[in-house]
Amino acid sequence: MSLAQAGVARNHGMRTLMQEVQPLMQLRGVRKTFDNGTVALRGVDLMIAPGQVHGLLGANGAGKSTLIKILSGAYSATKGEILWKGKPVRWTSPKAANDMGLATVHQHIPLVPTLSILENIFLDDNGLWRRSTLQRQKFEDLCQRLGYRLYADTLVSDLSIGERQMVAIFQALATGADLIVLDEPTASLALDERDLVYDAVRRLSKVEGKAVLFVSHFLDEVMALTDQVTVLRDGVVVMTAETHNLNEGLIAEAIVGKQIAALEHAPRHRTAKREGDLVPRLRLRNLASPGRLHPVDLDLAPGEVVGLAGLLGSGRSELLHAIYRADPQATGEVLLDGKSFGRSTGAAVAAGIGLVPEDRNRQGIIPDFEIWRNITLPALDGVAGFGGILSAKQEYERGWQAIRMLSIKASSPEILVSDLSGGNAQKVTIGRWFFSDIKLFLLDEPTAGIDIGAKADILRLVRQLATEGKSVIIVSSELEELLAVSDRILVMRDGKCIAERSADATSEHELLLLAGGNHATEPANRPEHQFDLNGEAVK
Amino acid sequence: MTAEIQSAVENAKPLAPPPTKARTNWQKVFGLQEMGVYYALALLIGTLTVITAYVGQDNYFSIQNMSNVVYQTSLIGMMAVAMTVVLITGNFDLSVASVAAFSAVVLVANAAALGFWPAAALALGAAMLLGLLNGAIVQFIGINAFIVTLGTMTGVRGLILLYTDGRSVSVTAPEATDVMKAFEGGRLDAFWFILLVGVALLLYGLYAGLRGRRAGEPLRPATLGFLVGGAFLLLIAWASNGELMVRNPVIYMAIFTALTWFILRFTKVGRRLYAVGGNPEAARLSGINVTKYRLMAFVFCSLTAGFAGILFAARLRSMNPAGLQGAELTVIAAAILGGTSLFGGAGSVIKTLAGALLLYSLTNGFNILNLGANWQGLIEGCVVVAAAAIYTIGDKKSKSKTGG
Repeated sequence: MSLAQAGVARNHGMRTLMQEVQPLMQLRGVRKTFDNGTVALRGVDLMIAPGQVHGLLGANGAGKSTLIKILSGAYSATKGEILWKGKPVRWTSPKAANDMGLATVHQHIPLVPTLSILENIFLDDNGLWRRSTLQRQKFEDLCQRLGYRLYADTLVSDLSIGERQMVAIFQALATGADLIVLDEPTASLALDERDLVYDAVRRLSKVEGKAVLFVSHFLDEVMALTDQVTVLRDGVVVMTAETHNLNEGLIAEAIVGKQIAALEHAPRHRTAKREGDLVPRLRLRNLASPGRLHPVDLDLAPGEVVGLAGLLGSGRSELLHAIYRADPQATGEVLLDGKSFGRSTGAAVAAGIGLVPEDRNRQGIIPDFEIWRNITLPALDGVAGFGGILSAKQEYERGWQAIRMLSIKASSPEILVSDLSGGNAQKVTIGRWFFSDIKLFLLDEPTAGIDIGAKADILRLVRQLATEGKSVIIVSSELEELLAVSDRILVMRDGKCIAERSADATSEHELLLLAGGNHATEPANRPEHQFDLNGEAVK
Repeated sequence: MTAEIQSAVENAKPLAPPPTKARTNWQKVFGLQEMGVYYALALLIGTLTVITAYVGQDNYFSIQNMSNVVYQTSLIGMMAVAMTVVLITGNFDLSVASVAAFSAVVLVANAAALGFWPAAALALGAAMLLGLLNGAIVQFIGINAFIVTLGTMTGVRGLILLYTDGRSVSVTAPEATDVMKAFEGGRLDAFWFILLVGVALLLYGLYAGLRGRRAGEPLRPATLGFLVGGAFLLLIAWASNGELMVRNPVIYMAIFTALTWFILRFTKVGRRLYAVGGNPEAARLSGINVTKYRLMAFVFCSLTAGFAGILFAARLRSMNPAGLQGAELTVIAAAILGGTSLFGGAGSVIKTLAGALLLYSLTNGFNILNLGANWQGLIEGCVVVAAAAIYTIGDKKSKSKTGG
């Protein structure tokens, strides 16, 4: 009896010891070659241990998405082996991976908006009834474990993006997963919502002993959250290290390679504002939209870059859409180079305004079109001859030009944009505006969800546009980016333009406080005319 | 540790230079998804030819019978081509058959009093107004096109009953019927025309292919299309023994389809129609007037339906208020067989035409083989569902192959 007990105890001890040595999941030399010959992964080794947060980083097209799809069972690896708890496995469907104990929270959260939170979380529960007390208990349990409370009967369509992200994490946990893959969980979240996700990740790993694979583009959160970091570049692992041995600079270098990282930190030469110009490039007078945007006045000089700071839903995108005449309810005056234009997006484009919208996939690209057809779409007149007949040769040429100019990673303009990675698709949506006489660029989160290399490219491009005398209004949640690229920064909150700062005279900290609704630095009830952005009184 | 990282960073492979020459994915070009409808058409005609030869009937694949099938297809074919345009813009039109019937009734009822041409103009005008009504309700009020056109389909049919008081109308005035006969029943010898077009296509295909070769480019699918199309037309010309009588509706259909194809394929208007269906919000934010293009598609579709109605009335010189009932489903089936997406942004009028020919070859085959009309609906339904299945499966496959 005692002997047996001792044996059990020793076994137990052995097991904990084994666990330290044996990772939860291990990849050995995983390769993936697609049928069209693209090599996405060239032999990847990865080790994920329980209780640890493992950061996975890499530029767009480095192979992150492919790796995640292999882990989650959406793709199968061409070569190499996957060990799960020490045993080689080969799952062929997401369901199989899920049953094994691996759950993936995808970047674009696949929830059913017309069902309640509870129903979404237990969507693959095979019980007969839509609601059961058992599910409620389990849900209660999850809330306790994550220290985050959701009201179980709320419809998912009523939730904010951050809350949806949490529901997706709940969903993953409800399957009883040991390894949770989070694919850019914070990419589309506002700052305060990100903290929710961070808390959840910390609890999962440190309290519950789950393994988390955390994919992100934000270096600061990777530094703060992860235990190990693996960096992919061009389908190979270029770095695996303990996070405490690293700093952001080293990770950035590993992601993009030395040169680009150095360029990004190089000081930018700001073009002096051309105060002498009589007619501003853009003049807004009382531009407003009921329920979305309070009246805004703004003068923008040629060659000037104005940054719009503010949280999600603060009216940043709404302002851009009102300027672009994409908001049919908008009232007020928009003058470009002193001239008014018609109330349609077509008139805005003809007048010389180009918009790069916030949601690339929904608003930016035509997924069934190749690169060249996307590139030429807003400026078809330039490639059309008599009777509106298009010249395929010129169109291809423009496609090539855009690929070269913006270093889009594509072998030819005939690649479908839906096959491009996020950063490259974003470059296409920007590149569309380079083939007509665009004087004002409206960029709505042009760097969201793309890697540092592409980010640096795009920011450099913005400064280059400014030196060419183009004006730019740029919206970004990355205050650092705004400070780096803008001449002045407007802060928006609740549909109002609440402050204006020169980029040299403000800091991330101040902007954060202004945007986040901290009234200490900016009295809430200041009269409207003091916010006139030109320092003139408004009648 | 840091030194290790440094060296790892430095030793990372440089990016491979992208290949500069685009390769054509022939597997995709000749895949079921792209070419399925042509294969199905060829297979069906081949099967029917073999069976008719086996049971000792007249040759199915004769110029006589084939031109008959094409003639039967012409009205539905034209409407299907126009329907493809509506589907490309991401809309739907169930009211085509009702509009065509309305146009036919207007023509027949007024042809004696006004004369054929003014009555035809009146009919076209009425059809256009109905299209405008469809489009305006869909675009300005924002009701789903399926619901709106389901309503107008029923409503316009009711209008026809009111207009005719539920009775058949017919034209007896000889001046009008003569013009109708000439308009619909006339024949033309298309031998030389087909020969010339065939030679022109072949020559252009050869020219484009040789130029591409000299420039070191791979063979393009379009070039091959020109060559195959030219060879096909020459084959028809050769088989016809120098005389190829074609009835007027076939000529109308050919011209109409060629024009629509050209506009969709080569012009700004065509590109924007595809963009509007492919992603309406992106199209709007690119400065395209989405409402205008979708409205245009509705008007175009109803105008075509009106024209088809005129041909139908001219063929029969009388019109039953229930005439053409159910034809809208054949029209939509043809577009689906041709691979047109119901979600917009994709579709080809040539393939739609092949889809319409496929449906009428089936009907024709059933008649020739005396299989009885009872089987026809079942087989047609199966064909449509099978086609949709092939397109959907092919779509999924090509998506997962290219990867994210």
